[in-house]
Amino acid sequence: MRIIVEGLEVWYNSTQALRNVTFEVREGEMTYVIGPNGAGKSTLLKTIASIVKPRVGAVYIDGKLLSRLSPRELGKIIVYVDPQISKTIPSTVLEFLLTARYPHQNTLGFSMPRQDLEVIENVSKQLNIDHLLSRRLDQLSSGELQRVLIARALVQRPKVLLLDEPSAFLDLRYRLEILDYIKMVAKANRIVCIVAIHDLYLASLYADKVVVINNGEIVAVGTPGEVLKEDILERVYRVRISLLSINGRRVVIPLEPIERIGLR
Amino acid sequence: MALPLYERRVKHFFISLTSLTMLIVFAFTLSISIGPAMLSPVKVFQAIFLKPFGHTVEGNVEVISMLRLSRALASLFCGASLALAGLLMQTITRNPLADPYIFGLSSTALTAVALGVILAPNLMVHKVYVVLVSFLGAMTGYILTLSLSKLGGGSSLAMVLAGIAIASLFSGVSHILLYIVQQVVKTPYVYMLMGSAATVLQRDLQFLAFPTMLLAVLTLAFFKPLNAYLYGDEYAKQLGFSPTLVRDLAAFVAALLTAITISFVGIVGFVGLAAPHIARFLVGSDHKFSTPITMLVGALITLLADIVVKLVSMFAGAVGELPLGVVTAVIGAPFLVYLIIKKVRE
Repeated sequence: MRIIVEGLEVWYNSTQALRNVTFEVREGEMTYVIGPNGAGKSTLLKTIASIVKPRVGAVYIDGKLLSRLSPRELGKIIVYVDPQISKTIPSTVLEFLLTARYPHQNTLGFSMPRQDLEVIENVSKQLNIDHLLSRRLDQLSSGELQRVLIARALVQRPKVLLLDEPSAFLDLRYRLEILDYIKMVAKANRIVCIVAIHDLYLASLYADKVVVINNGEIVAVGTPGEVLKEDILERVYRVRISLLSINGRRVVIPLEPIERIGLR
Repeated sequence: MALPLYERRVKHFFISLTSLTMLIVFAFTLSISIGPAMLSPVKVFQAIFLKPFGHTVEGNVEVISMLRLSRALASLFCGASLALAGLLMQTITRNPLADPYIFGLSSTALTAVALGVILAPNLMVHKVYVVLVSFLGAMTGYILTLSLSKLGGGSSLAMVLAGIAIASLFSGVSHILLYIVQQVVKTPYVYMLMGSAATVLQRDLQFLAFPTMLLAVLTLAFFKPLNAYLYGDEYAKQLGFSPTLVRDLAAFVAALLTAITISFVGIVGFVGLAAPHIARFLVGSDHKFSTPITMLVGALITLLADIVVKLVSMFAGAVGELPLGVVTAVIGAPFLVYLIIKKVRE
């Protein structure tokens, strides 16, 4: 499985969110998308998930044009982890996770296959949300909900996994554990995985490839060592940085903003 | 954990299903035995439920039971249908305070019926036409409430307030129109306004029972899109279901169900609000389980309310009967108060 993004241009009414975005992702390769607020990270993921339609350009999955696939086929292949879900009607974590198996079931079928429940069982054990299954979604903490949302994505057993800020609300332990687990799952099941993230250290830890975007354009693509460099990051984030080397990895330390707010 | 939890959910469903069915059979029998001539519930039970097995009871019990049967069946099916309409409204608006009555669907449907009767009095003869006109009214009410709430920002509070505005306006209009209808059809207009199961004819019951069952089966068949819809438009889209299609189809079914009950028993409020909440408390929010349980709860509430109507009219000894909607309002409005305190505060 491989994804080719070609000349993508996305507009929200009259504002351009992505311009001429072209890159390629192969299976088992962890791709991390970084960039400042409003750079177009979420838009890029949503376009690949076919939630947002591009004005120009195309996304190919294994040589097949994405827009040619039916909604049902898309549901089987691609998962986009939306940080926001509606929880106004009370429902439990288990009920939520059960819906993730629907793309693989007959829409009109009534039975809940045993193996589907076993998938949920395994994923929830691994993400340590086993004890939350009978809890209501609106009674979870932000970190617990974040783990449930990631669990939903894995329960759906996608070929393409798109994660939007998976480290948000998670404590130190779960940030590392969950991203580590996702990397393992992606390698083992030959999943294409694209992660949009703000934490540059996590990107340097788990990324095979880092895509830097700014103002809707790709600024740099490469391994963490190639991309996490002072000149690129200072230009994109407008922050003075210093690079430390710990255990052979580059750790980005932000020092001070290049322009101070109010003194411009 | 997932497997035992799911099995427990299924077990809860079957326990709720059997106990509610038993309660309904009990209330149904009780409802038929109550009247100016009191019958023994045991004999009524034999006359109604054991008749296919060759059981015979003395003549007058059977005759009176059959006479009262249509009223009990009417409240049973109207309750089930209103409850299902309420569940669908709550799902498609993702608002736990939604209900065909609160959202103004009932009032606009009744207004349409009253208008229809004034413009073409012979319309009343054919129940099918009444249902059709009332459906158009309910659909209009839904569209009005939805567009008004969109103008107000689309929040759940805006939706409830828009519903109250539409409901008040059209309940006023329908009061006026029904007052005029009194001259055309010689029945006191309170019955149409607040609902009564006493006036339903046996030959018309088929237009109530079959559509209700058909729409229930339809809803149940689409339990997966409805479940996915609960978590947001983008979420439903990701699982391969079109959110707009789910919403439009469910609104259509809810409006049709409301229209059917309006044309049979008039406005009966709060059943559609309370029943889905009780069902969710019993079996959770999965529509596979909550749809049948909601309908049974609705049927039970309405049957019990109709029994109260009968008892009050017998012991108070006033002229005529209490409207059904009055009783459900007295039971249901405190429930709404409880929900507002619990939900809106969050």
